[in-house]
Amino acid sequence: MDLELTPEQVMLVDAVRSAGAPWRDLPEDHQRDYAHFAGDLDATLRRAGFADAARDMGPLEAALVVLETSRLPVVTSIGAAALVVPPLLGETLPGPVALVSGDRAKAQRLLPVARFALVDLGDDVALLDLAGVAVEPVPSIYAYPYGRFVSPPDLSNARRLGPDAVTTLRQWQRVAIAAECAGAAEAAVALTVDHVIQRHVFGRAIGSFQAVQHRLAQCHQIARAMRMLALHAAWSRDPLAADIAATYAQDHVNKLAFDLHQFSGGMGVTCEYKLHFFTYRLRALQAELGGADGAASAVYDRVWGTAA
Amino acid sequence: MDFAWSAAQAAYRGRVRDALEELLPADWDSHYAPQGYGSKDQIDFSRDFCPKLAERNLLTRHWPEQWGGESADPWEQFILAEEMKWRGEPRGPQYMNVNWLGPTLMKYGTAEQQREHLGRIAAGSVIWCQGYSEPGAGTDLAALQTRAEPHGNGYRINGQKIWTSYARRADFCFLLARTGPGRKEISIFIVPMDTPGVQVVPFPGLVGEGHLNEMFFTDVDVPASARVGEEGKAWEIILYALSFERVGIPRYHVGRKLLDKAIAQLKAEGRGDDPIIKARVGRIMAKFEAARLLTYVVVDQRAKQYPPSVDANISRVTASEACTDLTNFLIEHVPDCLAGGDPILREFHRGNIAATIAAGTYELQLNLIAQSALNLPRGA
Repeated sequence: MDLELTPEQVMLVDAVRSAGAPWRDLPEDHQRDYAHFAGDLDATLRRAGFADAARDMGPLEAALVVLETSRLPVVTSIGAAALVVPPLLGETLPGPVALVSGDRAKAQRLLPVARFALVDLGDDVALLDLAGVAVEPVPSIYAYPYGRFVSPPDLSNARRLGPDAVTTLRQWQRVAIAAECAGAAEAAVALTVDHVIQRHVFGRAIGSFQAVQHRLAQCHQIARAMRMLALHAAWSRDPLAADIAATYAQDHVNKLAFDLHQFSGGMGVTCEYKLHFFTYRLRALQAELGGADGAASAVYDRVWGTAA
Repeated sequence: MDFAWSAAQAAYRGRVRDALEELLPADWDSHYAPQGYGSKDQIDFSRDFCPKLAERNLLTRHWPEQWGGESADPWEQFILAEEMKWRGEPRGPQYMNVNWLGPTLMKYGTAEQQREHLGRIAAGSVIWCQGYSEPGAGTDLAALQTRAEPHGNGYRINGQKIWTSYARRADFCFLLARTGPGRKEISIFIVPMDTPGVQVVPFPGLVGEGHLNEMFFTDVDVPASARVGEEGKAWEIILYALSFERVGIPRYHVGRKLLDKAIAQLKAEGRGDDPIIKARVGRIMAKFEAARLLTYVVVDQRAKQYPPSVDANISRVTASEACTDLTNFLIEHVPDCLAGGDPILREFHRGNIAATIAAGTYELQLNLIAQSALNLPRGA
């Protein structure tokens, strides 16, 4: 066991950071948005081969790409592109991809900006080309673009991936959720730590109060745990590890969102401050695939269920 | 980054399991394990069991060759600890000896101390206790009042210790005593427990048998050669020992075993499909796995001989939360664990009541994370 990144993995992370560097701040005219999809970055990541990391290097490397990208205030579809599409299709897709599940009449994450959708039908997965499919944006304070189909999508011509694809889709979607949560959590904690060091109340830095320190230390610990579980889930290719990583990540979003907003005070509820780009991304991921209850029940079923 | 066990590590784990199968008596799980590793029976058993482990070179394989080990990878030390913990720690208190007391003596002990004690520890026949906490000095260890004053060619010790696990059965005490007026002018002494003036008084409490003892030191004379390290310089030594202790007990590893037992009982009661229980148990399992991976980060750093880092505190916090969640779950859903139910579940609960207090409280771990990992300013 060696839990440090290899030199190649460090280079990969550095390369993702370089690609994302222009997006550490949002464009001037988008700084007060609720969410900003960086289409240019999404295309760059795909064009530069980062979405192929799973195939070229391995799923752990793909998770590193997703985790590192998720530390940016902007969003991309790299979670699905790098971690979900390769194990399902054995190739990447030439455009942003949305993962559609549950009630298809409801708003879906990334749908308005997606070129493709992987639709979880319960007993099959459909790959839907969204060219010509009418999608309307849905206003939301979640830090992803949301949209819904104007009318039920015609899946009759969509490519079907077969029943086995459902378990593959859900496994890797949970890994992607965990990796995105880890990156967003790390960025949100770092942003809040900066704030509590600079901001003074009662003549002291907020961060000097032990009541604040303890909770921020817990948030840091949570982010570390999210990272390790996400990377382990990717490395192991184990469905149980994926369920565990998603359980932990989704279960701890409430704690992160509450504490980090609490310590950011009034600034944290304004759009000019970047915190919501991370916390409301975590919020968006919190309920996916049944949320922590769904993932935790899946853990139980795998370990102690009748089929275990 | 690679999470895989090597073939050698997997083989070593198999070797440890085989040894446990061979050495543990048939009534281990029913008689010994439920009593806890501080109990008289388990401590007595450890005096017989550990020498057999030593014969198989499984007790101190991670020690340097100079001290009878094979300089085995620290990963092997943790594999051993995991397997021992899984079976209820048949090494009894001797896990402390081999994991941090011995290594601390290797680094800070005199040649005489090393000669006298390391061999005995490696042979598996000696019990130690740690004389740290006092009625007025627990988490704030530097407030301790037990004094060691120059007397003849050595020291005369007077004072009181409390919450001293294993003290009634111990042969030696690794004792902290004040040797100067400064807050951290503290020294460490090796005190044989049969020295005149040492009195041990057990007292009842919530935690498992053998953990709650008071120790009284009344005009206890020890030679200067009993002091470990320089006079007044115990702090560095204690921090070194504690860095091992904070990840020394792989509590994460028993989470799955305890959940197995609790769920077997719940299934027998027809509650195995309760969605509330399923969602709760999955969360606890996730926390234990988080603790496992974060502990492995620390072991990896130790294997690479990096200095102790804040990751030990992070791993401790994660394990503490997982254990606390499990103890809470047991009380809420398997309440007979404390009233006539499964004795292994009972001992887990009792053993974890103080797990967030001993060896640096949960809050102290958070302080250290806030300061070392987040660089937050110290409070007024």
